[in-house]
Amino acid sequence: MSLLSNTAVLLGKELRTEFRSRELLTTTFIFILTIIVLFSFTFDPTSDESRRFAPGLFWLAFLFASSLMLQSCFLREQPNDTLSALRLSVSDPFSIFLAKLAANALFLLLTELLLLPFFTVMYNVPVLPVLHWLALVFFLASLGISIAGTALSAISAQARMRELLLPLLMLPLLTPILVASAEATKALLDRAPYVPWAGMGFLTVFDVVFLTAIWLFGEYLLEE
Amino acid sequence: MSSLDSVFAAYVLGWAVFFVFYLTVARRTATLDKEVERLKNTLNRGK
Amino acid sequence: MGKRALAGAVVVFLMGAAAYASFYIAPEEKTMHVLQRIFYFHAATAWAGMTALFIGFVANLLYVWRREGKWDALGVACAEVGLACFTVVLITGPIWAKPAWGIYWTWDARLTSTFILWLLYVSYLLLRTLIEEPDRRALLSALFGIFAFIDVPIVFGAIRWWRTQHPAPVIMGGPGSGLDPTMSKVFFFSVFALHCLVVFLINERYRLEKLRAKFEIVRREAEAI
Repeated sequence: MSLLSNTAVLLGKELRTEFRSRELLTTTFIFILTIIVLFSFTFDPTSDESRRFAPGLFWLAFLFASSLMLQSCFLREQPNDTLSALRLSVSDPFSIFLAKLAANALFLLLTELLLLPFFTVMYNVPVLPVLHWLALVFFLASLGISIAGTALSAISAQARMRELLLPLLMLPLLTPILVASAEATKALLDRAPYVPWAGMGFLTVFDVVFLTAIWLFGEYLLEE
Repeated sequence: MSSLDSVFAAYVLGWAVFFVFYLTVARRTATLDKEVERLKNTLNRGK
Repeated sequence: MGKRALAGAVVVFLMGAAAYASFYIAPEEKTMHVLQRIFYFHAATAWAGMTALFIGFVANLLYVWRREGKWDALGVACAEVGLACFTVVLITGPIWAKPAWGIYWTWDARLTSTFILWLLYVSYLLLRTLIEEPDRRALLSALFGIFAFIDVPIVFGAIRWWRTQHPAPVIMGGPGSGLDPTMSKVFFFSVFALHCLVVFLINERYRLEKLRAKFEIVRREAEAI
């Protein structure tokens, strides 16, 4: 399967580039940490209040951070025009997207997991009993954010004012992700936690629909 | 505001939005039409 | 010119007739009385706006496949007209909500998702202003238009699923749910009038976009000399 092997090679390249410097991960991590601290001033972070508001705030912080984080994934190919080289070297341009979005999803997931201890301590919400479900919600949501976000960053990289444009294109489009993942997290952090099938269902639908869309239209996004 | 006033306001504002939209399109079309004509004339004179 | 002016006159007449019908022909509704008459305009505009966005979506798809300038022009025309429609929906909605519910805005499912839809298409038009090269602008905005349109049902579904769990103000049932036959006749006449308006506006906006392309060609010729 050349699509998968191509993707694996490209994914390796993306991961090596990032883990050499870890710039993206460090910056995003600190950014979200800052927002989480600042949020605590906007409401009274007692346990009950936190259960109600924290999941939404967490995902909102995440969405903003990812709209900044995803900027670079096509932008950094521009100075040396490495994208043309990539396009020539693979048979199916879908594998470029697949590699980039897998790398982005991985970065997002990693940041989320790193932030979880801070989040749970600072906002006083117990996560250990529901950790496996939480991880699944995180996975589905990060995947959705990076699927749509990678496609949109390919668009915004070719426009002016791209730093502002990407959040503007991304945030309304990702509303379903925000609503579904915030509600799912809220269900898991409830005093009587329950498995949020509806939330995870919506996240899955979003992921499948947009992955199909990129599979169909992704190659046009990378045209010269 | 009485109910009838609300209904009236809704219709007037709604119509106004469509009308303003039409006006901007018509104005942009008129300006562009003039520009095209002007350019064509200069082109013909240049030949 | 004559034909377009005639079409404009017909559209104005139809819109006037629809307004007349909803004020004088439609019977008074039991709970909302005269206020319910906004419904004929408000809901019909939303339907017509949805039609415009759907045509725009088809035009975007056709552009991606065929790469002909006319589909790009149709795409923008539909997006702008659709946006105008949803602007009207978002204006008439709160005017209706204030006397009916006592507040202008509530974060109810339909209002919120309509607002997100409006934002999506604003970003579409904004994106177009930020890409210089015409071919690239056409392609990228068509692709964003496609993504935006397929996002709409998911947005409506997700917001509806969670936000209607909250106690929401009672909205009257849509057409079909025991609507009086005269009412539904008036409503569908309104829908028809609004569709005529939308088609007329799309055509006007489409001509403007074609004229722009022509202007570019003439300008390049002039620069070449």
